[in-house]
Amino acid sequence: MSEKWRLIFNPDGDAADMVAYASALVEGRIAGKYMLSTEKLPNTIVVQGVKQKGILAGADVDINKDTAARYNIKVANYPRSGRGGPKPVGTVNLSDLLKTSSRKFNAVETDPDAPAVLLYTSGTTGRPKGVTLTHRNFAQQCLNVSKVLPLNESDTIVLVLPLFHVYGLSNGLISGVYFGTKMTLVPQYSPAKLLEAVEATKATVLIAVPTMYMHVLQAAKTRKTSIPKSLRLCVSGGAPLPLTTLREFEEAFQTRIAEGYGLTETTSSVCLNKSGEAFKPGSIGPAAEGVEMRVVDDDDNEVADGQEGEIVIRSGVVTPGYWNNPEATAESIRDGWLHTGDLGYRDSDGFFFITDRKKDLIIRGGFNISPREIEELLFSHPKVRDAAVIAVQDKREREAVKAFVVLEDGETATEREILDYCSENLAEYKVPKIVEFRDSLPKSATGKILRKELREGYHDDRLLEKAGADTKEQQHG
Amino acid sequence: MDNVRGLGRMLEEMAKKQKKKQAILFDNREVSYRELDENANKIANGLKSLGINKGDRVAMMLPNIPDFIYAFFGIQKLGAVAVPFNTMYKGREIIHILNDCEARAIITMTNFANLINEIREDVPSLEHVILTGQRTMVFVSPDSTVNVQMVVSKDQFESGDAAFRVVGEIVIETLKAFGVDAWYKHRGGVRCGGKKIATILVSEVENLLVINCLTFLGPLRTEDFFRVVWVSPEIKDKVMEPMTSVEEETGTRPSVGEFKERLLAALQSQMGISAEEGQLKRDELFGYEKTRALADKK
Repeated sequence: MSEKWRLIFNPDGDAADMVAYASALVEGRIAGKYMLSTEKLPNTIVVQGVKQKGILAGADVDINKDTAARYNIKVANYPRSGRGGPKPVGTVNLSDLLKTSSRKFNAVETDPDAPAVLLYTSGTTGRPKGVTLTHRNFAQQCLNVSKVLPLNESDTIVLVLPLFHVYGLSNGLISGVYFGTKMTLVPQYSPAKLLEAVEATKATVLIAVPTMYMHVLQAAKTRKTSIPKSLRLCVSGGAPLPLTTLREFEEAFQTRIAEGYGLTETTSSVCLNKSGEAFKPGSIGPAAEGVEMRVVDDDDNEVADGQEGEIVIRSGVVTPGYWNNPEATAESIRDGWLHTGDLGYRDSDGFFFITDRKKDLIIRGGFNISPREIEELLFSHPKVRDAAVIAVQDKREREAVKAFVVLEDGETATEREILDYCSENLAEYKVPKIVEFRDSLPKSATGKILRKELREGYHDDRLLEKAGADTKEQQHG
Repeated sequence: MDNVRGLGRMLEEMAKKQKKKQAILFDNREVSYRELDENANKIANGLKSLGINKGDRVAMMLPNIPDFIYAFFGIQKLGAVAVPFNTMYKGREIIHILNDCEARAIITMTNFANLINEIREDVPSLEHVILTGQRTMVFVSPDSTVNVQMVVSKDQFESGDAAFRVVGEIVIETLKAFGVDAWYKHRGGVRCGGKKIATILVSEVENLLVINCLTFLGPLRTEDFFRVVWVSPEIKDKVMEPMTSVEEETGTRPSVGEFKERLLAALQSQMGISAEEGQLKRDELFGYEKTRALADKK
């Protein structure tokens, strides 16, 4: 005896039918359960096609109805589901959790040195490592900020940087709450949206990355209405901000931009180059109060001012280590000093300058990318025998990923094929922009890939030439 | 630095001090410090009721929305460890992070339910998937898509997982009948090579399962859709994950009717179920009209 279901065949329906049939069937069955109807409704399968393009969208999706009409696209919304509406099997609705829970709770006592947050960041050795940040790390960071760049209760800070990144989380959200500011949330960045948010909420503090300052400046210039003048303070970090942009932005918005430097491992900023005060173009500034910074040679001996070496940091903001990874921790933190992997020097006034990067790290828009991680993915492609990944500069002079690929004997592959494989497995910002096929890769006697030999006219995104800051400025202008 | 306050306590004290003063300005809405604190408390209580304890890792895959802030401080109040990560990450990257920190729960957007479902079996520690926001999107097109829905009793399948698997097998058999060699990736994705050819979503309401399965018969041109909806890059990136269709794999696009015939044959062979064509009953028609009216509104 085979079971019988009801089939509803609707080849020429539309987007609204997709939600309407499901909902009708559900309601019919539930009504039946409560004896409102005597008819027992069967299991049902609906097969639907559409006669017109359509979008079926959740209640929070932002849809332009006029454009939809112009392109003949039918728009249907899922009715906002209340408590007890359908939800993906095996999941919990946050809104249900909020509705059923008490609004009273006393924060549990926490050990200051217990982890509060793990932030995953790419190093040079393959997969992202979890940087452990403790309650003490954040408390120290807030204390440092209160000394160098205090905010107050009348400030409104714009949270446009992603809060999952150390910069937005530590210097944005947590600073905001520490100082009791208002916080303007911008969930989706575009220059126009950021500008609108600043204007609408009369924001006084903006923390952002250089590309945002460049874009917002452009957007503000082309606007017919006036530029908001409420910003009293801006902070830029993640990459160097061209001096022309800094000056033009300050002029147009009548504000000041301080340039910061920091790492995930240091709970964000450790030094600040404050425009308008003791400011030095191209510098990352002096070490903040509460932070010790040094330049050391390969044997960890401090070098003289003006001499290049690795920048190391000791402070209460430094992570106790990588989650479950004592080897990486021991390599990175030696005698209490965090080794940043950034090369630079200190001038006689105590200002630091970054000149190069010790590790083969790629940094795109403030996000670390490990060449090793991408190489390992490429190795896992059945047609690939060897691969190497380096940083190149894209049109906007940001760092981008370039992959060199050696195929197995007798294999052929297109760039598209390799890129599709990367897209399936990697966040978009890590996906190579260019793939170059080679017969072999340059290697040292020990078999190590010589990445330097693969670079042509490449230079570091964060590199501000010691004397050449003006040259860079002209390139941007 | 003595007397280090935990992050949960930091918010609590600020809320006592600031009370009704605005904390969050978002989308023309205002949330006071007191409301922020209470929402964080609710999350802390909610997580506690799910069995999350001090020291447990709770992953967060959220954009800058108020829920991020409530969740973050709720986790802090509980003394648990927040693991917020990049919303642009893909399956393999997410698996690595969740396994490395042995996350017991993840709080994310409804849009990412499919993505998390697909990797759930690869992350043994993950007990709870907590979803927020109503931002899901489905694109349909006459040249490209066929949608199959099933509304069935929960007891039809052993578990939610089984529903995913069985429906996956039905779709694979249907595609095979057209000469497409597809495989089932657990909980949600049917793929051909590395590309997605069908998506399955299993929802539950009371004693019923609602199963939605969208299959691509022909290539879906998404440009028009993105003129109409504004979507953040990370979500667009996931909507746009490499896709294929029966036409792209075989050179021929079946009609919705042909697809239905093959599907019914697969339903018969996989589950021993035959389906007879019918219509909505009177009670159901009422619900149908009501939902259509709501869906067309706004």
